[in-house]
Amino acid sequence: MENVYLTIVLAPLLGAIIAGFFGGRIGRRGAHSVTIAGVGLSTALSLLVLARFIWGDLPVYNEAVYTWMVSDGIRFEVGFLVDRLTALMMATVTFVSLMVHLYTIGYMADDEHNWPHGALTGKNSYQRFFSYISLFTFSMLMLVMSNNFMQLFFGWEAVGLVSYLLIGFWSTRETAIFANMKAFLVNRVGDFGFILGIAAVGMYFNSMDYAEVFAAAPAHAETQVALFGGVSLMTLICILLFIGAMGKSAQVPLHVWLPDSMEGPTPISALIHAATMVTAGVFMVARMSPLFEMSETALSFILIIGATTALFMGLIGLVQNDIKRVVAYSTLSQLGYMVTALGASAYAAGMFHLMTHAFFKALLFLAAGSVIIAMHHKQDIREMGGLRRYMPITWITALIGSLALIGFPAFSGFFSKDAIIEAVGHSTLYGSGYASLLLTIGVFVTALYSFRMYFLVFHGTPRMDEHTRHHLHETPWVVTVPLVLLAIPSVVLGWLVIEPLLVTNWFATGDWNPIVVAHDHDTLHTLREHWHGQWAFVLHGMTMPPFFLAMGGLALAAVVWWFTFAKNPKIDDQLQAMGGPVTKVLQAKYGFDDFNQKVFAGGSRMLGRALWLGGDRAIIDDGVVNGSAHRVAALAQRARHLQTGYLYHYAIAMIVGLVGLLTFFVVL
Amino acid sequence: MPFDAANLFPILPEIAILVTASVVLVLDLYLKEKDKDINHTLTLIGLLVAIGLTGAVGGGDARVVFDGNVVRDGLTDLLRGAILVVSLLAFVYARPWLKDRGLFVGEFYVLGLFAILGMLIMVSANSFLTIYLGLELQALSLYALVAFDRDSKKGAEAAMKYFVLGALGSGMLLYGVSMIYGATGSIEFGPVAQAVAEQGMDNKVLVFGVVFLVIGVGFKFGAVPFHMWVPDIYEGAPTPAVLLLGSAPKIAAFALAIRMLVDGLEAIQPDWQGMLLILAVLSMGLGNLVAIAQTNIKRMLAYSTISHVGFIFLGLLAGSAQGYASAMFYAIVYAVMSTGAFGILLILSRKGFDAENLDDLKGLNDRDSWYAAMMALVMFSMAGVPPTVGFMAKLLVLESVVRIDLVWLALVAVAFSIIGAFYYLRVVKVIYFDKPDPDMPVLTTSGGVRFAMSLNGLSLLALGLFPATLLSWCQSVFV
Amino acid sequence: MGFEKFLFYVFATITLVAAGMVITRRNPVHAVLYLVLAFISSAALWILLEAEFLGIVLVLVYVGAVMVLFLFVVMMLDVDIATLRAGFIRYLPIGALIAVVLALEIFLIVGPANFGLQQFPAPAPAAPGVSNTEELGLLLYTLYVYPFEIAAVILLVAIVAAIRLTLRRRSDTKYMDPAQQVRVKKGPDRIRIVKMPSERAAVPAVAASAAPQESTE
Repeated sequence: MENVYLTIVLAPLLGAIIAGFFGGRIGRRGAHSVTIAGVGLSTALSLLVLARFIWGDLPVYNEAVYTWMVSDGIRFEVGFLVDRLTALMMATVTFVSLMVHLYTIGYMADDEHNWPHGALTGKNSYQRFFSYISLFTFSMLMLVMSNNFMQLFFGWEAVGLVSYLLIGFWSTRETAIFANMKAFLVNRVGDFGFILGIAAVGMYFNSMDYAEVFAAAPAHAETQVALFGGVSLMTLICILLFIGAMGKSAQVPLHVWLPDSMEGPTPISALIHAATMVTAGVFMVARMSPLFEMSETALSFILIIGATTALFMGLIGLVQNDIKRVVAYSTLSQLGYMVTALGASAYAAGMFHLMTHAFFKALLFLAAGSVIIAMHHKQDIREMGGLRRYMPITWITALIGSLALIGFPAFSGFFSKDAIIEAVGHSTLYGSGYASLLLTIGVFVTALYSFRMYFLVFHGTPRMDEHTRHHLHETPWVVTVPLVLLAIPSVVLGWLVIEPLLVTNWFATGDWNPIVVAHDHDTLHTLREHWHGQWAFVLHGMTMPPFFLAMGGLALAAVVWWFTFAKNPKIDDQLQAMGGPVTKVLQAKYGFDDFNQKVFAGGSRMLGRALWLGGDRAIIDDGVVNGSAHRVAALAQRARHLQTGYLYHYAIAMIVGLVGLLTFFVVL
Repeated sequence: MPFDAANLFPILPEIAILVTASVVLVLDLYLKEKDKDINHTLTLIGLLVAIGLTGAVGGGDARVVFDGNVVRDGLTDLLRGAILVVSLLAFVYARPWLKDRGLFVGEFYVLGLFAILGMLIMVSANSFLTIYLGLELQALSLYALVAFDRDSKKGAEAAMKYFVLGALGSGMLLYGVSMIYGATGSIEFGPVAQAVAEQGMDNKVLVFGVVFLVIGVGFKFGAVPFHMWVPDIYEGAPTPAVLLLGSAPKIAAFALAIRMLVDGLEAIQPDWQGMLLILAVLSMGLGNLVAIAQTNIKRMLAYSTISHVGFIFLGLLAGSAQGYASAMFYAIVYAVMSTGAFGILLILSRKGFDAENLDDLKGLNDRDSWYAAMMALVMFSMAGVPPTVGFMAKLLVLESVVRIDLVWLALVAVAFSIIGAFYYLRVVKVIYFDKPDPDMPVLTTSGGVRFAMSLNGLSLLALGLFPATLLSWCQSVFV
Repeated sequence: MGFEKFLFYVFATITLVAAGMVITRRNPVHAVLYLVLAFISSAALWILLEAEFLGIVLVLVYVGAVMVLFLFVVMMLDVDIATLRAGFIRYLPIGALIAVVLALEIFLIVGPANFGLQQFPAPAPAAPGVSNTEELGLLLYTLYVYPFEIAAVILLVAIVAAIRLTLRRRSDTKYMDPAQQVRVKKGPDRIRIVKMPSERAAVPAVAASAAPQESTE
């Protein structure tokens, strides 16, 4: 199987290299054909691997493919760990990525309009974009399939780097540059914690290999680190690793990069925020479950951060008017759900939601992108309305996506979200009550903002200008086919996979169990014990508060933004005005951005300036660097005169050298 | 004692080279001027066959044949391969240059092949006598190659200096060998090592002999203060000759050091460690400092060689398996880098013009961006910039020094390599940011040269990203 | 002190003195002749050590061939002794100092302390029938056959190098190729009739000088 796994990883890389380096020569067709072929091959093979895990008896693969170097007994390797958890992730990542590739053909078709006339960076931008998204897929696969911390870190950083390139893809736009810099810097903060965590693992376990570290972990359960007056090693490692996850999976307070990253082209919003980058953190925590299970403190921390993100980010979604930003805040909120599930030790539920979310969120992003294409790159939902008549496929698929998102019964989101809420309800950790409450309210908010957007965009009277409306039509097949293909799993996936994932612990293969849950953390046990099939789960769910809250939100949204809006188009603004200070706070996004901008950015700039003037220019530049450079140059000029060109000088130098060595080593 | 034909198997690569040289020597007499390409082709075929034979007879346990004169072990296999591959590249680069100057004659190939033969003999030598003879064979061929362009006064002068100083160096080496023989009663490395281990460090005669041996090694490597020949020969000799004597012979010199000092005299390692330490510090210091002041790029590369030799010595003096492996890695990598650098100079030269000043590289990027990129890779690698392999090589030798608690030495080395980065990066700057002279003609090179140079340059990057294979080979030699 | 020892000291002294003369004589021919003397007395030392074959080879090869060649070269080249020796006195003190230090150090190690009779007792004299030459031959062709072959290759390289560096075909030399000559056929090869227009009579010198403008054109 090694060759299959290598092909899965390397095919997108090869496509990226060809499209990136030879994009000018092979042209647009060549670039998208080669990258789609690469990702398509990966997808097919990933699905094959998944199928063989489901219906066959494929053994777990955990081998090093290449030893990069060995230092002080720690082996740095490139290796793959492919078990059912990985296979699930691989299939999700490659499938969504393939859809995004297809969709990009349509979305980026007229990309030259997005560049200033004659801009050099706009040359071959189409090919470059394909190269980037393929490279992104490669990075993500490296991260997911890794069997050791080093490769995990490589994938982690590679994903960060490519996301930087993608968010700032339209590099002539100020806002895009700002957004990608922000994403990069915020991710660096997370990565800092992450690499410290990895370093701690390396230091105490003397290994980078997952299996070895997991096996050795119980021995370190009681180890204390003399830091802040003594913390448990496991807590330290887990919290540090989780800080990395907070960066990638955009958890409060490291979430600020995600909404801004909507500056990138829509396909990458779908790729980054649905299936790949943001799920990296969730996946990583699930993968590390044997470590996280050993620290209740870390789990509580995760629980609280996740729940906070889930509710409060959803609230901001209510006051956003940019179609992509609404979806972005909903992503933040849903990530909060996943992370909360992890905190409640319901890793399986987190992964379950990650998977269903990957499909319906990709669907929503791509639908939003479809709308944006039709609207000639206008993104303000206040200027839309009534689009369902012009774009039936987009309309239906967006409706399916929204229903899945709010957890409408029997849609995929319903199963995963209900499972999470139930699991968190059973958790006994510190903060679980808080988390449970926030998640439940979050359901209402989710329904409200999702359908606010839905109604404003697709229903009511068209509010766009005459010219745009005249040109409104359904988008081409490369856009709609991915929508349809994503809509199908958005509906049925939850129904299909809830039983294996949550009830029968499908993840375990033989004696290898990637998801380890300590006995008293097992919050999914009631769900397992009272499992009577999907129908029963749906019926049971329909008697629970989350269902009523979701329906309430949906109904409220319908009342306000469908019925009332038709008569009183000012209702949205009036409601926001009624909110008063609350609206202000939400519109300011709780002030995170301003705070970062003033305190961190401003402060570090000030500090930097001071250091630059005092330290760098005065001491280092004038003193050390230039000073020593001058001295070196002078010395070099003098030393070159040693070489006279006379043979006997050379000979005597050798003799003197001989005498010197003899005197020093023999006589003395 | 009957002769066993199986004795010949371990030296099949040497035999292949000798046969090729002899065939070219005789055939050249009958070749018309326009058919001289056959020499070239034959030489390349011979080298390829030798590479194949190296692989075929390599591997497995060490084997000593010819009554203890020859040994075939992991070190032999790896260094043989490296020498042959590097030389192959050198011959490919040299051909257009020789053709342009009417020097495209069989003797160049004959002498080049004999020099390679000498190096192969050195890496498989198991006694002081064999290694000395290999050394002389190599040196004699190289002297002739330096003077190869008979119309060049500089070449003749360089050859003269090389010859006289080389004789002096060889004489000292031989004197040292005689002292070792006097103290141990043998010239074969195995028995010498045994005798040395018994006598230990009390025997002053051994130390006395080792001083001379170290000087021999230092001279071959070009370590300060036995480096004086290096800049003059690099500048004066025809560039193809420099290519041949600046690359693979460093690998052979490494073999010289390992065979004599480690195989033969490891028991008195503390003594030669000190000597190598002095030479290493002086070489890194002087080489890097003086290179800055050079405007002639061949001279600059000469001083860069000297500084790299200092780094190779760092690995050697560590006296640990890890140190030897890192020095070996460094030596091989250096040979590849140096081949690339001089290869570019040959590519830039044309009829009636030799690229040898820094200014001749001006704006290379505008003239041929691919070669510019390759030269930049070579320079980055020499400077030790990640992710090129030069960084890895430096890191490994530094690690080996740190491991024997010579942190100050590692710091000195780092300081000098920072100084050294200046002149390598200056080359990169000239390539990319200076404008070419308008009257520079377009670069025309054959596909073969372009392929070889691409292989050469990209290998530095590939080895930097994936050093493990070569490194593990190097490490497997010293276990 | 036996006779052998006496002979040893005699030849050793001659060797040292001759070697000293080689580097101090002003006339290079004299220097070469002193070098010959040094070789001969070394050969005598070797014969004292019962290495008769080597002693004779030293005389035959070095004295008989190499040094004679050397002598030819030195006599043919016009060596400017004055410039060669210009720095001799100036560098003598430092050179002498280094030489003395080096000699002292060598003596310290290669002296009786390490190489005395205690460490290296005199070997028993060889039996009367043993042939030095045969012993050497046996060793060369059995134990040391590999180094011997390498030495042969070195000689080959020396020949190739010497020819390459010295043999040159001068481009302005005109020489005949008999093979081409005999192939000459009757007709165009032997004689060629060239038709050309009749020329005007030469312009008188006076006319030329009278009209310089035209003539220069």
